[in-house]
Amino acid sequence: MAGLVANARVVASLGARSVRQTFRRPQLAAPIVVFPSLLLAVQTGGAGGAVNLPQFPEVNGFLDFMLAGAMIQSCLLAGNSGGIALAVDLEMGFTDRLFAAPISRYAIVLGRLAGTAALGAISAVYYVVIGLVFGVTYEEGVGGVVLMVLWVTLAAVAFGSIAAAIALRAGRASVVQGMFPMIFVILFLSTAFFPAELMQEPAATVAEYNPLSFVVAGVRDPVVSVVTGEGALKAFASIVGFAALGLGLSALAMRRRLRLG
Amino acid sequence: MAAIEVRGLERAFQGGVKAVRGVDLEVAEGEIYAFLGPNGAGKTTTVRMLTTLLRPTGGTARVAGHDIVREAPAVRRAIGVALQEAALDPLMTGRELIHLQATLHRLPRAEARAKADELLARVGLEHAADRRVGTYSGGMRRRLDLASALVHEPRVLFLDEPTTGLDPVSRKAIWDEVRALNRSGTTVFLTTQYLEEADQLADRVGIIAQGRIVAEGTPSELKAQVGKPHLEISIADGELERAREVVARLGHELPPKDGLVLVELEGGAAQVAPVVRALDEAGIAVESLQLVEPTLDDVFVAKTGRHLEGNGDGSGASVEAAPGDSSEDGARPEQPAEA
Amino acid sequence: MNPALAIHWPMVAVLVRRAMNEILRVPGAAIPGVLAPTIFFLGLTAVFGELTELGGFGTEDYQSFIIGVSLLQGSGFTGAATGVNLARDIEAGWFDRLLASPAPRPVILAGTVLSAALRALIPAAVLLTVGFAIGVSWPGFDGLALAIIGVMGLATAAACWGCALALRFRTQSAAPLMQAGMFVLVLCTTSYAPREHLQGWLHTVATINPVTQVLEMVRQGFLGTVTWHETWPGLVTIVALVAVLAAFALRGIRRMAD
Repeated sequence: MAGLVANARVVASLGARSVRQTFRRPQLAAPIVVFPSLLLAVQTGGAGGAVNLPQFPEVNGFLDFMLAGAMIQSCLLAGNSGGIALAVDLEMGFTDRLFAAPISRYAIVLGRLAGTAALGAISAVYYVVIGLVFGVTYEEGVGGVVLMVLWVTLAAVAFGSIAAAIALRAGRASVVQGMFPMIFVILFLSTAFFPAELMQEPAATVAEYNPLSFVVAGVRDPVVSVVTGEGALKAFASIVGFAALGLGLSALAMRRRLRLG
Repeated sequence: MAAIEVRGLERAFQGGVKAVRGVDLEVAEGEIYAFLGPNGAGKTTTVRMLTTLLRPTGGTARVAGHDIVREAPAVRRAIGVALQEAALDPLMTGRELIHLQATLHRLPRAEARAKADELLARVGLEHAADRRVGTYSGGMRRRLDLASALVHEPRVLFLDEPTTGLDPVSRKAIWDEVRALNRSGTTVFLTTQYLEEADQLADRVGIIAQGRIVAEGTPSELKAQVGKPHLEISIADGELERAREVVARLGHELPPKDGLVLVELEGGAAQVAPVVRALDEAGIAVESLQLVEPTLDDVFVAKTGRHLEGNGDGSGASVEAAPGDSSEDGARPEQPAEA
Repeated sequence: MNPALAIHWPMVAVLVRRAMNEILRVPGAAIPGVLAPTIFFLGLTAVFGELTELGGFGTEDYQSFIIGVSLLQGSGFTGAATGVNLARDIEAGWFDRLLASPAPRPVILAGTVLSAALRALIPAAVLLTVGFAIGVSWPGFDGLALAIIGVMGLATAAACWGCALALRFRTQSAAPLMQAGMFVLVLCTTSYAPREHLQGWLHTVATINPVTQVLEMVRQGFLGTVTWHETWPGLVTIVALVAVLAAFALRGIRRMAD
């Protein structure tokens, strides 16, 4: 029990460090807040006329539809920033200091993910506020907003675990940074920015089955329609899938790193 | 005409931190002048001002006859600069770097090419001329940096800590090159935190601490200011008092220390032999003896109350840092370069 | 050519050559600058392709409409990257070497900035190849020439912007500001849709944003015919942007000694 408490404190303090680190380094913070906000503003203003297309789902406004995409984009980038920061720690030898400390090695990764979770939650709240300021109607009310924040927070942990696995395997920040364009590939091949039925083939088909689309739908439903059991289950299962993949790969990469020294 | 004339030079940074507080100095044509001081003393800030990279906030300075503020382009045409970090582009080859430097000094293409060959050979880098700088060792980088500062045969050469972080062999190679350059008439202004470097290379030394010159002169003049050489003699048991009487006839005897007989010698090393002879004639067995001369560190201690000596790398160079020392150079704190 | 520039041309050329090493000598260094606009081009085409059903796009192929934005996005990224590289050179001390040389300050800046104009041709070439492969209309030689002028011109302006910020902040931490500035400038235009479809604030911003003129100059060949009416505002904008941002950067380089 004492060990568990000690590890929880380590995770909490490493998580706090990672949040502080993000806000102190503009390179880490900007992708999480600045770029998704700019893209949200430009896409809403530029492609907002899409709501007049006959096949477009019924929404109060294009921003209502786009908000979930911005949140997911932000939490994907938060995960990537966490991976970059972990890789920088590895390059600078900071993690060696942690490896040498009498704490669980997995607490090091979990600490980073705790920080990513906090960043995910912060970004979700930020976009909820942006939505309120610019007239988004949250159809499911406060409960729906809480559910949105929860999904985004969990998704940040899941995406962060994948970035952490890449950081642990490669040990170089440039490699994790190189994943940045891939994030947009995944986003464009999901329903983050547009309904699948209005997308061009083959992107439309990919988006229909992309698990990221289920997460996006889970975050979007409380804004534009109603939360259904099936939608929530699909979102949860997708997040668990991403997290299982990321944590599994992280564990393997950590074991390899410790074995090779 | 002096190669460098500095009057009341000052530099304050944001927040009012004064890195240089009224430096006056003069360096004659063909002289090697060493600016000696610990990290944060204001050496680099002074060099950055003299090389037109930083505007002074007070005082004036002329380099090669040109005012460093009003005639900055003329100063840049007359000087060569090798800055502390030996900042070289790792993607360029040594030859390309010298060629670039030559082009920036408006040398015609053919002349630039010939100059690159000549300088690379001069600093012993001809074998590595077409390799990327990223593959060079620390010593090679410094030599390339030095070579690139020479493309236009500058009248005044500024070297900011040219050997910091280098191994003894590389350091000696740089020293040899600086001496050779000076023999050919180039005035050299170098900053260093190494006592030995200042002692070995410089015609005159300026000791700087906390932004002010606290002592200036030739190394021997400075050392003479703080004392004369003395001999430390270890004598066999029971003979100490007799030995003191003997040495007192030849020089000014100092109080014994740790069982050693100490005698100050006006004539330095030339007086060692008579002392040894006198002790021998008196039948006193000498176990060991050592001539101890004042060092520039003694000068530094005498002027500032702190040591410059003893960073453990064998060359001297650390200091009991005074509060605020590290921030004195403001935007560009002096740091040892990567080896 | 400006006589002063002609005299100093060898210096500019050697600095451009040095800056080109960044992509010519580092394997894969050109990839991120190419990948981002290409992914955006393909992604936006796939996602927003149906927007042309709203009408007024001048084409039914959204890829022909969006290629101009992607070309300018490539220029913006390249320009911002030039600023980041300059900030790195300042941090590493390399820039001091240039400043301590007798090369005039505008020449040092010109070498850095002109390299961006050349480097911007790499993402442009890839984008055009990918674009034509997925059905972007052939813009004609005049349209293509204008697209290239737009790409190089905006890259020059973006590099001046990046350099001005690098000279102001002297740290690579300013990179997001360099990138975000260009991002805003290029995307707050008629990037996704023609002016009549833009909503609220973006309609206003796109109308006053000078880059809209550059975009419409670059885009016209891909949508049909090239006219002087659509061309001259773009050319004037490029000249004005470069002049203003270069003045900003020159002020920065002159203040390096402060």
